[in-house]
Amino acid sequence: MFNPAVTLQEFLGEIINTNVTLQEFLEEIVNTLYMVGMSLLIGTIFGSILGVVIVVTRRGGILAVPFVYFILNFLINIVRSVPFIILMVAMIPFTRSIVGTSIGTNAAIVPLIIFITPFIARLVENSLLEVGPGIIEAAESMGATPFQIIWYFILPEAFGSLILSLATATISLIGASAMAGVVGGGGIGNIAIIYGYQRYDTFAMFATIFILIIIVQLIQSTGNTVARLIRRR
Amino acid sequence: MIELRGIHKIYQKKDTEIHALEGVDLRIEKGDIFGVIGYSGAGKSTLVRLVNYLEEPTEGSVIVDGAHLADQPPSALRQIKKQIGMIFQHFNLLESKTIYKNVAMPLILAKKSKKEIHARVSELLAFVGLADKAMNYPSELSGGQKQRVGIARALASNPKILLCDEATSALDPQTTQSILDLLQRVNKEYGITIMLITHEMSVIQKICNKVAVMEEGKIIEEGSVLDVFGHPKHPTSRNFVQTVVRTDVPSQIQEQLKQQGVHALTKLEMVGEHATQPILATLIQRFGLTVSAVFTNMTEIQDTTLAIWYLDIEGKEEDKANALAYLEAQGVRIEEVSI
Ligand SMILES: Nc1ncnc2c1ncn2[C@@H]1O[C@H](COP(=O)(O)OP(=O)(O)O)[C@@H](O)[C@H]1O
Ligand SMILES: [Mg+2]
Repeated sequence: MFNPAVTLQEFLGEIINTNVTLQEFLEEIVNTLYMVGMSLLIGTIFGSILGVVIVVTRRGGILAVPFVYFILNFLINIVRSVPFIILMVAMIPFTRSIVGTSIGTNAAIVPLIIFITPFIARLVENSLLEVGPGIIEAAESMGATPFQIIWYFILPEAFGSLILSLATATISLIGASAMAGVVGGGGIGNIAIIYGYQRYDTFAMFATIFILIIIVQLIQSTGNTVARLIRRR
Repeated sequence: MIELRGIHKIYQKKDTEIHALEGVDLRIEKGDIFGVIGYSGAGKSTLVRLVNYLEEPTEGSVIVDGAHLADQPPSALRQIKKQIGMIFQHFNLLESKTIYKNVAMPLILAKKSKKEIHARVSELLAFVGLADKAMNYPSELSGGQKQRVGIARALASNPKILLCDEATSALDPQTTQSILDLLQRVNKEYGITIMLITHEMSVIQKICNKVAVMEEGKIIEEGSVLDVFGHPKHPTSRNFVQTVVRTDVPSQIQEQLKQQGVHALTKLEMVGEHATQPILATLIQRFGLTVSAVFTNMTEIQDTTLAIWYLDIEGKEEDKANALAYLEAQGVRIEEVSI
């Protein structure tokens, strides 16, 4: 219940009374950026390739191999069906066999990559499918090879949309990376859980949320600006 | 230059089959501006897309510049496609690239040097009148300008053939005219054979020398534009011709004539210089006939004039026969029509 006897000073004092040091906070932000950056980099490489492959191999695609499309589409759906927190726990043995440990930032990167790759593949697929059939027809009428069609026509036309997709993927990765804190993954999610949740440190909790909001806003507005500059329409 | 033999095209759709082309034979000679006209769904786009093998025929063969397309391996087919430019109703330009890059695209694909690309693109942009737009983006251009870019791009690889699928259908009449003028220059100055698809007879009238009329996957009439405009045989062709040239007597005039007891007219069809000769004077003075022109129509087609006259001729049968024989000898096409 609200107690009017508590002065504002006392109230603020209670909130700001925190055990997190600034150094810890900065370290964990760096950890978050590292986890997100690494898994984004690797996930973007694999996800983009996968996205291109499922676009060109589908029925009616420029290199239609419906069987390949079917398999990849199915695999992507499977991974996408598992919530990240479950995926992460279920993958612990696999992660340990690769990284040697299942805790820490490096260990968190493995499930993050597995989580984000199919997500990026789907986003890339959507972006590429936005490129109209007319563009592909024009490319084919010029005698472009399938690779040239992808490289000189589809990818440049989809570039603005791909940048927005990348922003979406990054934001989703930041959310997932915060969950990595639950299993000792490090990052600012760790602060929210260890201090904010387990030790009732309200300040640590709100500071984490605040930082996350700032980062997400930055990423989204950067994505929007870059996409607008590229799109030219 | 282009030959289609016994073409059938069937699209499989789930459990139905769409017979888009049903036995089409067509020859387009070098230097032609060949028009294909038909209502929506007639199979025109399917037909033109066969020529650069965007679509393969279910049956029949496509021969372009002596090469049977069905026999070509993919790489050879791509080389042949570079010899065939194509422009589209909705232009299909790359929105993310400048006009310069759009026009350069076929050359970039062919791995030409920067210098060579620059020279060719500059020449083409000047040809289509867009030299000052090189660094603009397609979204900054009007429809007519976009189609000019489309034409420049299609010409970049020095093709022998240009395919146009409804290239002016998204444009207003004035812009259409300027694009048609440009296509005519492409034909004359570069000697490029043009195959042009449209549903507008005025487009055929303005630039084509030959025309094929399509309906339900078949070519129902084919010939020189003057012939088809002068005396279309098939009802559908007649409908198309009527949209630009009145070849029959308006019904209001027909009614008046019937009331006056006139039931037969003589239709004269003249082309070129005949169209401007003093026919009436000759008939009256030389053959002593009474002639009244009931309805006349003169139309410009392909830099010449097509004149259609409906005459009510009275006089001695013998004089009339002599007069018509004289006209026929002059190259005038004569037809007795009843109303
Ligand atoms: N890719 C396709 N798949 C199935 N049916 C098609 C396809 N393309 C065209 N058709 C069908 O073939 C017929 C002819 O179409 P089209 O050649 O586009 O006609 P037009 O250009 O004269 O309007 C139409 O009935 C159309 O629905
Ligand atoms: Mg069409």
